[in-house]
Amino acid sequence: MATFSWLEALKSAQKSALVQDGKKKIHFTFPDRTEMAEEYDVKTGDLLVRKWKKKKMLGGDGNWEFEVGEQYFTPTAMKEDLLRESSSNPIFVRKDTKECFQWRIRNLPYPVSTYSVTADNDARCCIVRTTNKKYYKRFSIPDLDRAQLPLEQSAVSFAHANNTLIISYKKPPEIYSLEKEIKAELQKLKAMKDGDLECNPS
Amino acid sequence: MHSAVQVPISTLRGVMATDTAQKVQEVRQVTRIERIGAHSHIRGLGLDDALEARQTSQGMVGQGSARRAAGIILEMIKEGKIAGRAVLIAGQPGTGKTAIAMGMAQALGQDTPFTAIAGSEIFSLEMSKTEALTQAFRRSIGIRIKEETEIIEGEVVEIQVDRPASGTGVKVGKLTLKTTEMETIYDLGTKMIESLTKEKVQAGDIITIDKATGKVTKLGRSFTRARDYDAMGPQTKFVQCPEGELQKRKEVVHTVTLHEIDVINSRTQGFLALFSGDTGEIKTEVREQINAKVAEWREEGKADIVPGVLFVDEVHMLDIECFSFLNRALESDMAPILIMATNRGITKIRGTNYESPHGIPLDLLDRLLIISTSEYSEKEMKQILKIRCEEEDVEMSDDALMLLTRVGIETSLRYAIQLITTANLVCRKRKGQEVEVEDIKRVYSLFLDESRSTQFLIEYQQEFMFSEKGAGESESMEVA
Repeated sequence: MATFSWLEALKSAQKSALVQDGKKKIHFTFPDRTEMAEEYDVKTGDLLVRKWKKKKMLGGDGNWEFEVGEQYFTPTAMKEDLLRESSSNPIFVRKDTKECFQWRIRNLPYPVSTYSVTADNDARCCIVRTTNKKYYKRFSIPDLDRAQLPLEQSAVSFAHANNTLIISYKKPPEIYSLEKEIKAELQKLKAMKDGDLECNPS
Repeated sequence: MHSAVQVPISTLRGVMATDTAQKVQEVRQVTRIERIGAHSHIRGLGLDDALEARQTSQGMVGQGSARRAAGIILEMIKEGKIAGRAVLIAGQPGTGKTAIAMGMAQALGQDTPFTAIAGSEIFSLEMSKTEALTQAFRRSIGIRIKEETEIIEGEVVEIQVDRPASGTGVKVGKLTLKTTEMETIYDLGTKMIESLTKEKVQAGDIITIDKATGKVTKLGRSFTRARDYDAMGPQTKFVQCPEGELQKRKEVVHTVTLHEIDVINSRTQGFLALFSGDTGEIKTEVREQINAKVAEWREEGKADIVPGVLFVDEVHMLDIECFSFLNRALESDMAPILIMATNRGITKIRGTNYESPHGIPLDLLDRLLIISTSEYSEKEMKQILKIRCEEEDVEMSDDALMLLTRVGIETSLRYAIQLITTANLVCRKRKGQEVEVEDIKRVYSLFLDESRSTQFLIEYQQEFMFSEKGAGESESMEVA
């Protein structure tokens, strides 16, 4: 039932699409004024970016929060001279493949035996731990939350190479069918080409 | 080229070294940032628990009855139940009207909004008078609200600040924080470095940083550091090292003013912002929406209203339109406590030809509680001058202080205060340690006070420009 409601929410959202640089960019505005933007690779159909922008309580725009993909340019100059994470820290990015949800944590130089990844269904999140206590991360899988599917330890696998820890979570069949439906729905959306104008200049 | 000031603390010697290093830095920063203002010696109203005025306390001297009255108003503000009351502080120039208002602001503390404006500030070409007044009103109303923010909470492993070798330029720094599970390095900006030094954050402290505002709070020292041979005060608190992730989402209570919410919501969004000329005015609809929203939060128990204080100095500079606007604005239940100050007697109301006490229309005067200040006695004047000497770090001999007090009585308190600084400079030039009678005499002859200057003008009127026109025709100042 719940999977159905996510599809419904997408259908009811106000959408606009644009094809640019070999990517199909779709912008959703939900009835509660929350915004979501997705980018798909035109050739492979892979999801490259999914980001959210929620209204703040006091009003005003928030920042984009990335669920999938990453912000390539770091905002120039430190915001109001506060602080930011050093670039030598591990960087956590989600990048999905056809079969798996996948996360990459770059800048993690420790050997593979250091890490452990557990799926905690009660807290609805996966936890990455290191035995040397250098890195720890809890992350949820919003796709499974939206579909209200359980998290299973057996679906989790991870590998380490080139200073990068790659965690994969095999997509359950329900997600497959849901994604297929969403793709079909998005196909119906007429995308503008780069350079198209919304109205005819006469 | 950077010279690193490292702050890893493991031994006692290390502690002492960093302490001195920090102190040197602190002194440097204080001398650079803090300047001495006309009221920087005031730290409160100087009242005891029974709201009786102490003769000399918290930088306040004399004006006992006015301060007592202000104390009662303060209680009213703190209770926060009554909206839209107005108080007028009236008195001759230099009798401490602004000082009392500043004292009230200090006594109210950080959490109550206090806005100080001068009457002439609201006249601008960019904004209408009523808009400026409305903004000032809304700046003085705080909303205490719960909001979810991102905070960083962890134990400081190392803090390192690099200062450029030349002494000027941007400082850069690194901060390593850890929890029981992880460790992260942060790059620090100048503001962050400043607030970390202000809080005296060291390795081994448990701190939280509000990510949006950059506010640093020290929670205590880590238990793992308890065995170090650190010299620590009795109030040093030991805390467990936090668990889990460094960044957390937490609900925090903070106070924002209505005006801040207005501004956040009134920005024109999208590309239209490029075309809208920013006049700084906020639409009435936006304000109404926000009022409705705040009322809703209040009913749901999400927010509290913290009524604050709006202080309008030189209130006789407002004109009749502003006064009638004030009449109406004070009736709103969202109005703050309004404190006004004036040094005028019976004079014309700006924008009319009518005369009225303090230059304020009678209908508004009727709504006011009036506090009056009186002239200082010789003893009080001496006391004030002494406090100012301390504030400005000036050593003065008793005789010189006596003389200066006499000068103050003859001329004005403000003139006497001006002489402190100048006399000190003269004293330093002759390489003296203490300001002597001679120094005071010298600056007294160098700088004229207002009455001597007037005397001089009357005597030498003929010699100045345009005097041939005749002195009798001089026009009265136009105020409209």
